[in-house]
Amino acid sequence: MRMRLSTRAFLWSFVPFALLLAGSFWMIQRQVQSAVREGLRSSLREAHESMARTREQSELQNSRFLRIVAENPSLKAGLQLLLSEPKSGEARLTVEDQLRQISESLSFDFLVISNSNHTPLAGVLRIDNQLVAMDVQRMNPPFAGFFTFGDNTYQVNSFSVDVNQENIGFLSIGEHFDLSEFSSPTVLAQNGKVLRSSVPRAPLSELEASLSSCTQQAECEVRLAGETYLTLPSDSIHFGNGYMLRSFQSVDSVSAPVQGVLRRVFVIAGLGAMLAAAALTFFSSRSIVRPIASVVARLREGEATGVLPVFQSKPTGIREISDLTNSFNRTATSLRESQENLQRAYVEFVESLASSFDARDDYTAGHSRRVSDYSCAIAKGMRLPDSEIEIIRVGGLLHDVGKIGVPDSILRKPGKLTSDEMAMLRQHPTIGRRILEGVRGFQEYLPIVELHHENWDGTGYPLRQSGLKIPLCARIVHVADTYDAMTTARPYRSALSHEDAIRELQKYAAIQFDPEVVQVFIHLEEIVKRARSATDSANGAGLRLVSNPKAATGSDPSARRIV
Amino acid sequence: MTKHSLGVFALILISALSLHANDIDGTIVIQHKLTKPRVTPAGDLYERGAAVPLGDDQHQDPLAYERTHVVIYLEGDSPSQGVTAELNQQDRGFAPDLVVVPAGSTVSFPNLDPIFHNVFSLSKAKSFDLGNYPKDHTRTVTFPKPGIVVVGCHLHANMSAVVFVTPNRWSTTADPEGHFTLPAVPPGTYTIVAWHKSAGFFRQKIEVTADHHATVEFVIPLDENGVLQEARK
Repeated sequence: MRMRLSTRAFLWSFVPFALLLAGSFWMIQRQVQSAVREGLRSSLREAHESMARTREQSELQNSRFLRIVAENPSLKAGLQLLLSEPKSGEARLTVEDQLRQISESLSFDFLVISNSNHTPLAGVLRIDNQLVAMDVQRMNPPFAGFFTFGDNTYQVNSFSVDVNQENIGFLSIGEHFDLSEFSSPTVLAQNGKVLRSSVPRAPLSELEASLSSCTQQAECEVRLAGETYLTLPSDSIHFGNGYMLRSFQSVDSVSAPVQGVLRRVFVIAGLGAMLAAAALTFFSSRSIVRPIASVVARLREGEATGVLPVFQSKPTGIREISDLTNSFNRTATSLRESQENLQRAYVEFVESLASSFDARDDYTAGHSRRVSDYSCAIAKGMRLPDSEIEIIRVGGLLHDVGKIGVPDSILRKPGKLTSDEMAMLRQHPTIGRRILEGVRGFQEYLPIVELHHENWDGTGYPLRQSGLKIPLCARIVHVADTYDAMTTARPYRSALSHEDAIRELQKYAAIQFDPEVVQVFIHLEEIVKRARSATDSANGAGLRLVSNPKAATGSDPSARRIV
Repeated sequence: MTKHSLGVFALILISALSLHANDIDGTIVIQHKLTKPRVTPAGDLYERGAAVPLGDDQHQDPLAYERTHVVIYLEGDSPSQGVTAELNQQDRGFAPDLVVVPAGSTVSFPNLDPIFHNVFSLSKAKSFDLGNYPKDHTRTVTFPKPGIVVVGCHLHANMSAVVFVTPNRWSTTADPEGHFTLPAVPPGTYTIVAWHKSAGFFRQKIEVTADHHATVEFVIPLDENGVLQEARK
């Protein structure tokens, strides 16, 4: 793919710059974010630890209080009754009643009394705010830890019941374990199986799966329901039996606002830097490319005009560019010189070709030259463009090239030509066309060579074209050719005077000639006449008035020689 | 000591002159509640709502309970025939919670609850422990000496009752209006005693004649703060 130098310079400098910038901003942002995250994590951990300490304190207080409950003498008497009458349902009822009373007055949710072998004897449980007796044999309440019945979970602690410093049993006291009491989302698990959870929008199975990667007693980070949580086991409370309590803290909810601010700051800074970089690279690439672009523009201009211009003033202070300009100037100069040489050689070739066939006949010596000059004068008078005039000039020189193919016997025949001879002579435009047809670069002269004997009224040869169908250059050369033929002597007649020739032309205007061309030629007549009287030489006059720019400057030696 | 012997003499006299006995009518006046209310009920009480529907007890005189729990008796030992009385254990409580019997009486303690009770007393007048016994079982205790016997239950610390053993047969409790009658008291001069668990003993001299009823009024006095002023033993 081709691209502009400026684009290329811009891309090559801006893209790596932008990538570097974006990359470093991204890295810095990541660094800052992770630092922030680490800070948040440690503060979360501290909060968690202080909460755990508070909880531990309250647990301790609670245990002291519960120990006092275990010192209840009525309960001791009840336990003793139960121990002495293990089969009696009334004894069990008595103790259940006692437990119910205690639960009512002290708001316990779970009370079980067991013997010194931890065999539960009687118990009550609060379900839906109703205290009901437990079938302790079947329900097998735990000694410590958690007890789950239906939708209710109880946290249980046991205290020994002593009489006379002898342990007679244990009182297990439990309270509803409600995760909503915890200020942060909490999960209760037993041996990796999640029993209760207050983590929002996270099903238990997902929790289990993500927690399986966490080791038992360590903090870890898990993703749940699209949120990142930091989870810590509450190691201050030992439940035993594989129970474990884990508290969760949403890192995202804490860090999201901070990260949002950070991201915004970095995006703004990054975009600003990127814009600055873009502007800088744009201007630098432009300053590099501009001198080159001006050189290219000159070259393109030269391409359009065919002339390589020379830089007059140095377009830039840059050394490389001024070197380039200088060498370009030198190249342009030498190219122009060689072009001029080529042009000169070409012109010399054509002129010598013309004079070579003019020279076959004394009478027609200088004819081609003069026809060319007259034609150029007419073309100038008609204000044709320079390129047209150049074609007419060369075409005028070459118009009779076909006469090479006409035998001298016909050309030099002093008398009247027979019709066969005339036909042969009339072949010369066709012959000329055929000769030049094969020469590259002569295509533009073919109309002149072939059609300079076509008449305005269509009676000419070889194609019998008429009026404006005949190319203008051919019409011009036709007038010039006829005039020169009339004003030079021939073996079969003498030369007509200038005035007579003009009269003849006027007479046949719009019959044989384009009247407009004749009109222009006549206006040139005054100049022609003056020139003639001044030099007394038809040849010299032709030279002076001819508007060939190169010949007119007098710098063309070949033109002078031919005259 | 002279007073005591005088009383003994008087009672002997009364027994001899029982034909001329007359009643003592009396009134107990209590203007403030004596039993201390529970200051800090369990939190659950509030949560569960009031046990008594609001406004139901407005016709109930709060002082009636206090009046019915005042024991009135005459001082002085007098041999009397013992009686039998019952002190039930019902709904985790004693019913009634006050029994007045003369010395030598026998009180039975039947258990009407579906649970065990263990009735006991550590009082000086009579200490006993009836052990654990279930529904429809009963135990009996004889009280040979006068005195105040506070009865409790080992299994239910809340349960409490009083067996008031009087030295003679002239004893009673007041009705809700505070009226009481000691019937058939021989003429003579006596010390009549009113006792309330919280307020203690109140004594007055009273003279009983064959002609007309003796009347007596006990004002169980409290100061403006409801604090007992003149409790005497």
